[in-house]
Amino acid sequence: PALPEGWSAEKDFKAIGSITASSQRTIEPVGPHFLAHARRARHKRTFSEDDRI
Amino acid sequence: MPAKTISPEERVAIGIAFGNSYSSIACTVDGSPVVIANEDGDRQIPTVLSYVDGEEYTGNQAKAFLIRNAKNTVVSFKDFLGKEFKAIDPTHCHAAAHPQAAGDSISFTVQDKAEGDASTLTVSEITTRYLRRLVQSASDYLGKTVNSAVISVPTNFSEKQRDALIKAANDADIEVLQLINEPVSSVLAYDARPEGEVKDKIVVVADLGGSRSDVAVIASRGGLYTILATVHDYEFHGLALDKVLRDHFAKEFMKKNKDVDPREDTRGLAKLKAESESAKKALSIGTNASFSVESLAEGIDFQTTINRLRYETIARKVFEGITRLVESVIKKAELDVLDIDEIILSGGTAHTPRIANNFRAIFPESTAIQAPSTNPSALNPSELQARGAALQASLIQEYESEDIEQSTHPAVGTVKHITNAIGVVSVEDGDEVFVPVIAPETAVPARRTIHIAAPKEGGDVLVKIVEGNTHIKVTKPEATPKENGTKDDEDSDEDSDFDSDDEEPEELREKVWKIGTTLAEGAIKGVKKGGNVEVTITVAGDLGVTVTTREVGGKGGIRGTIKAP
Repeated sequence: PALPEGWSAEKDFKAIGSITASSQRTIEPVGPHFLAHARRARHKRTFSEDDRI
Repeated sequence: MPAKTISPEERVAIGIAFGNSYSSIACTVDGSPVVIANEDGDRQIPTVLSYVDGEEYTGNQAKAFLIRNAKNTVVSFKDFLGKEFKAIDPTHCHAAAHPQAAGDSISFTVQDKAEGDASTLTVSEITTRYLRRLVQSASDYLGKTVNSAVISVPTNFSEKQRDALIKAANDADIEVLQLINEPVSSVLAYDARPEGEVKDKIVVVADLGGSRSDVAVIASRGGLYTILATVHDYEFHGLALDKVLRDHFAKEFMKKNKDVDPREDTRGLAKLKAESESAKKALSIGTNASFSVESLAEGIDFQTTINRLRYETIARKVFEGITRLVESVIKKAELDVLDIDEIILSGGTAHTPRIANNFRAIFPESTAIQAPSTNPSALNPSELQARGAALQASLIQEYESEDIEQSTHPAVGTVKHITNAIGVVSVEDGDEVFVPVIAPETAVPARRTIHIAAPKEGGDVLVKIVEGNTHIKVTKPEATPKENGTKDDEDSDEDSDFDSDDEEPEELREKVWKIGTTLAEGAIKGVKKGGNVEVTITVAGDLGVTVTTREVGGKGGIRGTIKAP
């Protein structure tokens, strides 16, 4: 939507809430994307760090 | 338990789908899976082990001995692995070697040597011997000794059963790289095709086997699979369909031969069983099947035919049971048929056209049904699990055993999954609508990017990040009023009659997004006319959120973080 009149925030970004609900589940340890996830998890890398490699 | 391990350089790995009724083996050639035929030319190899005059037989050869050598033939033993005698259902072994208690395990007594006494073999030993033969077929095909494998197992296979299977395989000189869940194996077989694409979707896998049917709902999110719900059933399966046909043919036979029931004779029953299964398979391909058995009972030959329509009529109860299984697992996952993007039919019974057609009737048009009769490019349902296992084997065979164990440890995969979707608010026809960026049930960390049209006139744009969830909106089209006014009164009589009696207005059910809690707002200033805005949302493992957004093609953009709850 269009920006309402008089809207302002520091650096034009305003955090309001945070994620309300989540559940603990287990991903199946199968497939190339899981192996990539496991690699990131074991080396504690983020997505962008992983992209750079 | 110290399991057998092999160094990556020496490894020759395959995928094995090990079932109660049939098993199959597959390898990968240049990254794509190939299902291997055994020396009999079979890709679906019956899970049967038989001994005649000290010779060992497996597969279809062993299955044929159920007629003449039933008591030295072992069938349907896979689900007995790692179980106690009192916990098993020996129904499917009645016409073959009977399982018996052996300490806290199960054994079979068979004459496996040409001379001397019969041997009592544990189910573990039977499995080892059978796996050895399977792997031998793969080694013959590859020209190299196969020494490791990924094996698919049902989701409700206990830890004890998993350990028992690993031990039996180790005893057959096979290193088990990993045991993977059967439904996930099937999804991987589809996603890994060259034309397969990794999408966020909810998939139902209906694995319809011989002695059991297992259905699972899986959230596929960026190529990561999370099982949301499973059901297991031991009533509606292929053997139940065989029985429907067997009873039908037995009755036909008895019409012609009074007082002779071929089911009461052990051999007659074995012949009926074998031929009923063949007729069933023929009816999945053609619309007619012939059924003929030499000397079915009391030396009388029997020959008849059946068409698919008749079969579908007599087997209706089993088919409906399978449909109910699928409906029940979706309910168990707290979802609706409208939430299902794809249904994958797997297992031998999945070749039945009627089953896929019944699914077509309960799912919306948008749901892809992966079965040979509904999708010409569907994969062979019997091959999915072996293909998936072979693909997984090729992915991990270069890892050291320790790495595989650490990477596949449940702790690595047990993470938070967001319950609600995260998206942005857009305006359509003056109404605020929710545009999902990250789907519900996505495992974190996760990152997704979308491009969304800015208001047509451009200018300053508010990017509003919100949670969202779906609900099912039911609308009843208004019943056609009985009195249509005076204008077309004359010809409305039959119409309104027809309407009120036969055409109960059908409920319209649709999935709609509801905008939930606002997470953040951001401003992109001075967007061009007709411009697009790119929004990237990254959710970290602790549920903290990072948002970056900019005009497509524009410079700068903004970045902000929302702290974890």
